[in-house]
Amino acid sequence: MTRPLRTAAVFFVPVVAWACYLFLLLPSVIVFPISFGTGGEFEFPPRAFSLELYRQFFTDAAWWGAMTQSLMIALMTALATTVLGLPAAYALQRASLPGAGLINGFIMGPLLVPVIVLGLGLYLQFAPWNLLNRDVSLFLSHTMLAVPFMMISVGASLRHLDPTLENAALIMGASKPAIFFKVVLPQLKAGIAAGALFAFLISFDEVIVAYFVTGPETQTLPVKMYSAMRWELSPVIAAASTLVTVFSILLAIGIMMLQRKEKQQ
Amino acid sequence: MNAQMKPPVAPSASSPLDKEPALAHLAEPSTPNAAASDAMIEVRGLSKLYNGVAALSDVTLSVGKGEFVTLLGPSGSGKSTLLNLISGMTTPTAGKILINGTDATTLPTNQRGLGMVFQNYALMPHMTVFQNIAFPLQVRKIGKDEIRQRVMDVLKLIQLEHVADRRPRELSGGQQQRISLARCIVYNPPLILMDEPLGALDKKLREGMQLEIKRLHADLGVTMLYVTHDQDEALTMSDRIVLMRGGKIEQQGTPEALYFKPQTVFSADFIGSSNLFPGKLSKDKGGLMLRCAAGAFDVPAADGAFVAGSAAVLLVRPENIMVETPADASGRQQIAATLKDTVVLGGIVRHFLETPAGEQIIAQELNQPNRARLMRGDAVKVSWRVDDGRLLPAERA
Amino acid sequence: MSSASDVSFLSPRSATLLVAPLGALLILFFAYPLILTVWQSFYEGGFTLRAYAELATSTLFYKVLRTTFVISFTATLVSLLIGYPVALHLSRQSPRKRTFYLMLVMLPFWTSILVKSFALTVLLGHSGIVNQALGFISGGTIQFPMVFNRFGAIVGMINYLLPFMILSILGSLLAQDGNLARAAEVMGAGPFRIFRKVTLPLSMPGVIAGIIINFTLSIGMYITPALLGGRQDMMIANLIDFYTRQTLDWPMASAISVVLLLISGALVTILGRVRGGAGVMGVA
Repeated sequence: MTRPLRTAAVFFVPVVAWACYLFLLLPSVIVFPISFGTGGEFEFPPRAFSLELYRQFFTDAAWWGAMTQSLMIALMTALATTVLGLPAAYALQRASLPGAGLINGFIMGPLLVPVIVLGLGLYLQFAPWNLLNRDVSLFLSHTMLAVPFMMISVGASLRHLDPTLENAALIMGASKPAIFFKVVLPQLKAGIAAGALFAFLISFDEVIVAYFVTGPETQTLPVKMYSAMRWELSPVIAAASTLVTVFSILLAIGIMMLQRKEKQQ
Repeated sequence: MNAQMKPPVAPSASSPLDKEPALAHLAEPSTPNAAASDAMIEVRGLSKLYNGVAALSDVTLSVGKGEFVTLLGPSGSGKSTLLNLISGMTTPTAGKILINGTDATTLPTNQRGLGMVFQNYALMPHMTVFQNIAFPLQVRKIGKDEIRQRVMDVLKLIQLEHVADRRPRELSGGQQQRISLARCIVYNPPLILMDEPLGALDKKLREGMQLEIKRLHADLGVTMLYVTHDQDEALTMSDRIVLMRGGKIEQQGTPEALYFKPQTVFSADFIGSSNLFPGKLSKDKGGLMLRCAAGAFDVPAADGAFVAGSAAVLLVRPENIMVETPADASGRQQIAATLKDTVVLGGIVRHFLETPAGEQIIAQELNQPNRARLMRGDAVKVSWRVDDGRLLPAERA
Repeated sequence: MSSASDVSFLSPRSATLLVAPLGALLILFFAYPLILTVWQSFYEGGFTLRAYAELATSTLFYKVLRTTFVISFTATLVSLLIGYPVALHLSRQSPRKRTFYLMLVMLPFWTSILVKSFALTVLLGHSGIVNQALGFISGGTIQFPMVFNRFGAIVGMINYLLPFMILSILGSLLAQDGNLARAAEVMGAGPFRIFRKVTLPLSMPGVIAGIIINFTLSIGMYITPALLGGRQDMMIANLIDFYTRQTLDWPMASAISVVLLLISGALVTILGRVRGGAGVMGVA
């Protein structure tokens, strides 16, 4: 191989890698400066610094209400995912159920089916039941979407959990519920917290199913943003995007820290 | 000693331990070791199949109150299965288990009132040492002040009061295992099961812990069922050893009995080191002789099971074999051998010899400053007292 | 000698009770909607193949199907070409540095696809920095239309898909025994020969899994083509939405969903074979 070619090849990998990191990061960070522009048109770099877009966001009930709606749905999703997912993950790990493999596959199913298909299916389901545009149908749909992440997260913690500890507690006379709450649960804390943050984030960012099953009263922030991007092109989108990104990054960092803590244990 | 060791806690009403042994009349005295009423554990005809393969087959065993019994055997011999059956972590395929006179065959583990010490300590990583030891007391709904008192008492007993607020992972393996012992004795279970508790410790620590467990056993008067594959541990600690093999009890008895009176080649081989001479018995001068590769040996008097024409194995322990024959050779069996190697293990000297027929013999003696030095390749005459030998039935292939 | 305990800690009865609530949720809000979709595609007051017959003759459907495959294939291919060197770069870092670089990959992975699509419309728009830079270099003569067309859709999809590709390939690169490459080096192989003969073949499972994952995700994509693509670049998911909301032809929407479901089902099955049964989102 000739020398220049070799040199080019040596630089090729890091250059592509750095270009790629930039390409991945840029869209997520560019919204910050845009959101501090003066309004009017999206501009980068902005010509002057202003909080105008944030003022509009927080004074417009349509935006501000969509955000509180999103936060509430995400919180309920995180709670429901934990309450439903945790016992199931524990049971699947600690019992030999016939067809456990199938059950596991079924629980992971929402990850494998295109979300648009689930969106349509839920729409077809809720429409005749008069459940469109209801909080309960939205957060249960989001719970369905988020459950696999809880199972993955708690499952990883459970695999690190030594079953001897539960047997030791059993021999010492503890009841099974007591063992779950005093021996198992405290050791799964990081995994549960990561799973709940996952669930929160999935719900908070979710557009497609929410777009299908929500209506004017239950519109979430991503749905509001989506329609604003498609039809209005309101500059407030930049402020909304920044807020969503800050949330996402905080949650993602939380998840990554919890996962690291888990690994170090 | 130990004023702090309180009488056993009255177990909760659901526990079997406070019931009178209602089924005592059913408990026929099945073993010579303990009458039924004195037995802490009675196991009758216990079997366990895993996918049709017997991990334990038809085992009957009795452990007396206050006894220290060791289940000894190689891995796969069924000792852990038996322990799991007694603890309730496994259910038997057939047979009965009585604990303290009550039928516990199908009783849930957490109602058996047992204590158990595990090889990996099984301390709760999210609790401090204090909380770990307090856990079984909290389960029993004991008052806060009493818990504090009793936890500190056992910590004093094992001399680890200073680590009460630390987490288990901050402690050494030996300390962790002592904490796990403390967690067990703090609620005074009448029976403590130990599953290779010293397996993860190094040799020095192990010997110290052996003595500590023995001391606790003597002080507390608790019944202990101890599982190990380490014969030295079994010999050091036990009142009685139950040697297991292939899911069955091979032989049980005191450490002495197992060492000096093994009933099978397996027992002889598993406990202590041994010279085994397989051969065939024949009649000679009114007595029996064993014809084997190394020659024809006089054999000790044996019971009627050994008759001329049957196959048998002669066991001679290395320490009974002398490399130099003493002047008075009467009552001794002598054979020629060549010295292959000599190993000095501090206070003990071990000689490796070979007979002209190629059989390996190990002889062992105490090391003395004026011991006669033999050279490798020296032709010697080894000998042993005929009565020190022991006839064993040949192994069925 | 771990204690072989055949009695599970939980009895099948209590385990069933613990799994039941989740099972009920998934039957009600996952299985039932899927069954309903299949049912709806065949049932319009009675059993009918009307929707499928219409699909089979619809030029729009074929056009959308072709567009979907072309866009998905292109986005997957470009993701692979970019993702492989990036994975290689990550695999050569010390664990500490790798954690940092992985953060760079993972953080955008967790930020909203809406935000990223929106940001790309600004970046690639006619007054966005890319076009401004091009204009500056060329003295105002060159301007590329980069959004609201196929190019924009593909760029947006690549931005979304890259982390999946990178993580999939990185997995199989890190699983390689470093001694192999070292042995090849000792035997005198140059870095390119080592790459071609050792590293590349051993990373193929990750590459194949990455391709299937990316392609599966691509064909179901909805947001990115809707926001960054042109009117001509409708993909299957957008067509489903079109039939659901614009023409209110639910049987058609359902039939298209069934087709999409079958395609991605086949891809997931192949992936299962490649991965030995692991899920699509092994990255989580």
